[in-house]
Amino acid sequence: MTTSLAELHHRAELLAAKLPPLMVAAERVAATVAQGVHGRRRVGQGEAFWQFRHYERGDPIQHIDWRRSARSDSVYLRETEWEAAQSVWLWSDASPSMQYQSSRKLPAKVEHADLITLALASLLVRGGEHIAPLGRGTIPSTGRMALNILAAALDDREHDPKEHSSSLPPFEQVPKHGRVVMISDFLEPLDEINRAVGVFSDRGVDGYILQILDPAEQSLPFGGRTRFEGTENEGNALIGRVEGVRDDYKIEMAAQRRGLEAIARTAGWGFGIHTTDQSLEATLLNLYVALTATIEWTGVN
Amino acid sequence: MFTLGAISFVAPVALLGLAALPVLWWLLRVIPPAPRRVRFPAIRLVMRLVNPEESSAKTPLWLTLLRLALLTLVILGAAHPILNANNKLAKDGPLILIVDDGWASARHWTKRQTAFGNLMDQAERQNRAVAVITTAPGNADQTRAMESLLTADAARQLLGALQPKPWPVNRIATISILNELKVDGSPQIIWLSNGLNDKPDGSDVAEFVVALQKIGPVTVLAETAGALPPLLLPPVSERDGLTVSAKRAVSNVAASLSVRVRGEDGNVLTRQPLIFAAGDSDGKLKLILPAEIRNKVTVIEIENFNSAGSTVLVDERWRRRPVGLVSSRKRSASQPLLDNLFYLDKALDPFTEVRVGTMAELFKRDLAMVVLADPGKMTKKQNNQLLRWIKLGGIALRFAGPRLAAEKNPVLPVRLRKGNRDLGGALSWSKPAALAAFTENSPFAGLVIPKDVRIRRQVLAQPTVDLPEKTWARLTDGTPLVTAEKRGDGWLVFFHITASPSWSNLPLSGLFVGMLQNLVQLSRGVVGEASKRLLKPVQSIDGFGRLTDPRPGALAMKGSDFLSGKASPRHPPGFYGDETARRAFNLSPSITHLTPLSELGASVTRDSYQETREQDFRGALLIAALTLALLDIIASFALRGYFTFNRATAALLVLMITPLFITSVEAQTVVPGIPNPANDNRDFAPVLNIRIAYVKTGDSQIDNTSRAGLEGLAFIANSRTAADMGKPIAIDPATAELSYYPMIYWPVTEDAPLIEQATAAKLNRYLKSGGTIFFDTRDSSGGGAGADRLEDIARHLDVPPMTAIPSDHVLTKAYYLLREFPGRWTGGRVWVQQSASQAAERANDGVSSIIVGGHDWAAAWAMDDARKPLFPVVPGGERQREMAYRFGINLVMYVLTGNYKADQVHLPAILERLGQ
Repeated sequence: MTTSLAELHHRAELLAAKLPPLMVAAERVAATVAQGVHGRRRVGQGEAFWQFRHYERGDPIQHIDWRRSARSDSVYLRETEWEAAQSVWLWSDASPSMQYQSSRKLPAKVEHADLITLALASLLVRGGEHIAPLGRGTIPSTGRMALNILAAALDDREHDPKEHSSSLPPFEQVPKHGRVVMISDFLEPLDEINRAVGVFSDRGVDGYILQILDPAEQSLPFGGRTRFEGTENEGNALIGRVEGVRDDYKIEMAAQRRGLEAIARTAGWGFGIHTTDQSLEATLLNLYVALTATIEWTGVN
Repeated sequence: MFTLGAISFVAPVALLGLAALPVLWWLLRVIPPAPRRVRFPAIRLVMRLVNPEESSAKTPLWLTLLRLALLTLVILGAAHPILNANNKLAKDGPLILIVDDGWASARHWTKRQTAFGNLMDQAERQNRAVAVITTAPGNADQTRAMESLLTADAARQLLGALQPKPWPVNRIATISILNELKVDGSPQIIWLSNGLNDKPDGSDVAEFVVALQKIGPVTVLAETAGALPPLLLPPVSERDGLTVSAKRAVSNVAASLSVRVRGEDGNVLTRQPLIFAAGDSDGKLKLILPAEIRNKVTVIEIENFNSAGSTVLVDERWRRRPVGLVSSRKRSASQPLLDNLFYLDKALDPFTEVRVGTMAELFKRDLAMVVLADPGKMTKKQNNQLLRWIKLGGIALRFAGPRLAAEKNPVLPVRLRKGNRDLGGALSWSKPAALAAFTENSPFAGLVIPKDVRIRRQVLAQPTVDLPEKTWARLTDGTPLVTAEKRGDGWLVFFHITASPSWSNLPLSGLFVGMLQNLVQLSRGVVGEASKRLLKPVQSIDGFGRLTDPRPGALAMKGSDFLSGKASPRHPPGFYGDETARRAFNLSPSITHLTPLSELGASVTRDSYQETREQDFRGALLIAALTLALLDIIASFALRGYFTFNRATAALLVLMITPLFITSVEAQTVVPGIPNPANDNRDFAPVLNIRIAYVKTGDSQIDNTSRAGLEGLAFIANSRTAADMGKPIAIDPATAELSYYPMIYWPVTEDAPLIEQATAAKLNRYLKSGGTIFFDTRDSSGGGAGADRLEDIARHLDVPPMTAIPSDHVLTKAYYLLREFPGRWTGGRVWVQQSASQAAERANDGVSSIIVGGHDWAAAWAMDDARKPLFPVVPGGERQREMAYRFGINLVMYVLTGNYKADQVHLPAILERLGQ
């Protein structure tokens, strides 16, 4: 990682400060989901007052609002609005391919990936959501502590050979209705990606796929006789005239993107692309919009 | 050595490498350049694009061609090609150069020097010993250093100093030198001949070649017969001019030569064509010259044939001499036909300058002859004056007459009897007498006597024992008519008749004119005792026909040898005599024939002189190969896609290629006149002390000489004078700021570049504002190729009227008193501005803005670090070098101090004024 953990953290905070707190829509009521600050305009666990109603048999006595009941003859229960906190598992790819930067002027992909991850986490925490790094078995938590855990986990990947070498998200028992955000270059074969995403979506986990690319990976700006070498021991490829295959490459790259889109659509997930020459804010805003939009998309029952 | 047309290869074995080129072609085509390596995450996508057939890519054709060209250049460079190589040396072993350095070689001396250079280059390459033998006799004091085996480099230096001699070659005498020569191995002989036989039948050349062939195989270099130099013979005096004739070696085609007549001070008096008709080997040209011009003629030469054979010196013999007619009274204008002087005037005027006056008036000026045609009574003082003058070499011619009889003791060669002799008069039976034929000892011998000349009256001599000896002309009856007596160096001649037709009709005849002409010729010792006198050399002409100081080793010459003598190291052609009388001794009369070199037989290789100096291409080829190698590197990188062509790569390219051309471009990058801010750490040295600038010629050797010379001059000037001079500075007049320099030394080479109009304007400004340019044509006399080039260079300059340095010029006394201005050479003239106009004087403090000479002064001044002179001076001697230094100091003083020394002529007046 090119920047120190503290600085990365700081930059992510600065980035996040430009957006309002992100409140991820929770679409399913689930006991396993820790309650958050989202008022669901229905009765449930929460702190905000929702309504009074007449006491009925079987209601817990602790819920009787004695002050209200004293003003009239009947006994009233105080019902609070149901507030549920969403839990989001974040994963950003740190495999060697993410270290690529086509020019010294551009940052490595992993740098942007980590920034987006942390900025997103910061937004989520400010929205009162719970976050956790994916694949580490960490219980989602919120507050500054949660950000520190995530940042430490991002830093930790560097030293974890398994994480370090893997370009696909690890599996973790994410509870139903949990959310996963995956940030990677997603240049692996589509069926592998599909499998990795499928294990989550099959369990009803919602998510978002953000593909991070270097501009060079989109345009193949090389010329002449070139031997391309993989970053993760994929082998190599000798191209006689790179200029000649450039258009074919772009078609391949578009196909990859369409494949990813299809995977996301099948899983009901969101999909976005970020190139390292784009501004982080724009991507973060897109991500923000996409995460909040799922409210409309999924609807409130 | 392997030759293809004009190109030869020193190491032809390397050319075999060319045979390997097709193999290299195949290899280069098959092995493509290594691909560029890129780590790329999206490798999986790229892998799908790989076309298996494409991977066996081939090198692009143009790159292959580039590399083949590179290799070809390297191979050719290794083979060491030389253009116009001299391939005359076929074997190894010592090389013996026979050089004809007589007068006939001067015409194409540069060709010979080119040949020397080429041969020495080759001898140096092949590491051969060289012996140089010259066929013209050398000076007695010249060492025979050349004739032992030398290294090519040492021989090159000797040959560089070799000059053609103003006398013919003597090949037979060279044979003995050849016989003494000790050479090992199988020597090869190259004879750089002058293309002429010594003897008309060529027997001497045949003998010489036989002697040469005893030593080794012979190659003869000779000019084509058409290029042989013509021979200009001394002119023949005519009434109204001079007739010059010339000989040539071949006579098949018509040709025209330009004959140039020059005066005492080198000025060209006239220039006329001399035509050779086809089939005629002799040509004549009549130069019609007014008397004043004719008397100035010093040199007649054929233009562009600078050799002693095409140069003829003219002395008094060809001039009209002053003859004084003594007249004691006014000439009677009313009856001219009765006046003695009228007939003398008419007879003498065509070929002499006639002056009329009293004896005292006439003797104030130089005279060749004085004529006393019965002038009347002469005082004793006058007689003594006359006798003194005769003793000094004058010729006094007296005529009889009525007044002579009245004189008591007339100055006459014989004693006269009283009274006259009347022939055919009223009281005489005898008839007027005719003239007898002239005897051999008479100066009139050979003159044709007209039949109708009759003597009617004469005075008679007292018969004495020596009367017949004294008689130069007599009548048919033996009576002396003209008697003469030697007095001292001169002659006293007496005509026993009057100069008017009253006593005879001789003054009316053509014979009278002939007799007077012969008598005038007699003056200054054309015949007679005076010719036994030894005349010392005054000026010599060198091999190129230039008048210089007498050659070292030139000896005085007897007057009688002038007609029959042959030019030799002891008696080089030139002027002999003293300040009062100079006699010209010419080369051409002793050369009786011009015969082209005869056929020498099949065993002798004949060749002509090469025009061109050989050129070595190895360096250029290797540099070209290096350039291509750089291009190849760039191309390889481009092929691997390392860079696209943008500004950065262009800059890189320029950076890589520029060093190759930087040396040649260096001089042109400076923009004249525009101060370059990047250059503002300018060298202020030129203004901190006095420096003399010299003009860069581009020839590094000349530039180094100029620098060393001016450094030497600065050293000498600093150590001897109060001048504090810095190191000299090389400038390019087009770009440099000139105003810093008091003087610019400008060595002019044969191929010096001409100056631009703008540069000329700049130089003119410099000259006008007080600068001095010192042109040195470096060719010893100012008449060679350098001077011609100087004419071209100076075309746009405001060159004032020039004159040879007058004897009272400031340059002769600015520091040292000098009479001559030697440099490495000497004997030529140095030209300065004429101090004619007052305005010019004021403008420049009287300092000549341009000084021109050809003595190669820088070479004479040049010193090495140990203050030892770098070049020998010619003819030599430390005195000449010292004089060169002194001239240099005078020059420095002159340009620095201006004309203040000129004011010294007024010093007596100034002192006188101070005294008051």
